[in-house]
Amino acid sequence: MADGINTSPNYFNALTAGLWKENPTFRLLIGMCPPLAVTTAVKPALTMGLCVIFVLVCSNMVISLMRNLLKPHLRIIMFCLSIAAFVTVADLYLKAFAPDMSEILGAYVPLIIVNCIIIFRAEACASKSNVLVSILDGIGSGSGFTCALIILAGIRELLASGKFADIQVMPKGFVPWAAMQMPVGAFVTLGLLIGFAAIITAPKKD
Amino acid sequence: MLSKIKFFMQQSWLLLLASFLFGLMIAVADTAWKPKVEENKTGKVKNMMKGLINANSFEVAAKDVNIPSDKGFIKTDIYKAVDEQGNVLGYEYITSGSGFGDKIELIIAVDAKCEKYLGYQVLSSNETPGFGDKIKGDYFSKQFVGAPAAEFTLVKVGKAEDIDNQIVAISGATITSTAMVNIFNKSIVSVKETLAQKGLIK
Repeated sequence: MADGINTSPNYFNALTAGLWKENPTFRLLIGMCPPLAVTTAVKPALTMGLCVIFVLVCSNMVISLMRNLLKPHLRIIMFCLSIAAFVTVADLYLKAFAPDMSEILGAYVPLIIVNCIIIFRAEACASKSNVLVSILDGIGSGSGFTCALIILAGIRELLASGKFADIQVMPKGFVPWAAMQMPVGAFVTLGLLIGFAAIITAPKKD
Repeated sequence: MLSKIKFFMQQSWLLLLASFLFGLMIAVADTAWKPKVEENKTGKVKNMMKGLINANSFEVAAKDVNIPSDKGFIKTDIYKAVDEQGNVLGYEYITSGSGFGDKIELIIAVDAKCEKYLGYQVLSSNETPGFGDKIKGDYFSKQFVGAPAAEFTLVKVGKAEDIDNQIVAISGATITSTAMVNIFNKSIVSVKETLAQKGLIK
């Protein structure tokens, strides 16, 4: 786990913390459903990442604007309400303008509503920070999540089909690993990447 | 009573206002994009239908036909594929059944006499990648092209190139293969009966 949660009104920190130090997937291990479910290929992973960035930025902005009006016992309801509204808009947009991606992602776009990254950032940052910090935090955390999805999807797509974002990369003799397209491929790849992140960030022994 | 209402409003005015505004935002987005969403849906089905029978137009031949499925009956429409001269090239219908991962939804095409299948397209499925999702591939789907529109039997070993009533299962995906054969077997009787009742086939 990360050793500090970003709540300070430091603009640079708000933007960059989510990329690595508080990366939701590799460091905080939250919102783990999409990394396992939608990373069979890079394009759907990128689409999911962009949807999460949109929802994070919009919900963070709205929650930050109303933070002084929030009653403690209605706080979570207000978070859920704003998140659900923006997820519904994102889902409708995909259905209208990216129907293929909408079909591939299926129920995982509406499920962004229950993605704990968004409610976590609303609680940890947006409800306590000004609008600009909240927007930068949304961009940072969303981008960190998107990068994690793309890394995971890139490895899985490359090994499962020899392609990266539908572009053939591997030589002709490459034998595809069908298992990488299945859930087992997601669990193994994610586990290895989290382990790798833990090794990089482990405190050095004397 | 009034004090209770006042307390309620003091506590929840923001929630009520936000609900109204977010509801309005969704309503605006839905109204603006709904025609495009509908266009995408019908466009996809039409493209798939055209991929099976290259017709000039598709007309509804029978509406709300009851087709048996795993969970009772499903209602579907049977479409008549017509060329420029008005000749009937075949019929197509959408049907579904339970697969291994989820529901398998198919568009099935039969010839004008409803004697032979012209093929199928997978409208939606969530079968196992590398195994069950091979129903979208040529090896499995070509077994149905030109096959008699009668009951199929599933075999584990056989020649996939032979076009007959025996369908060779996908190796490692017996449940999906069985589901596919069941979808065809359950629907064809109702489709033939309906078309015969309408006087469209003998």
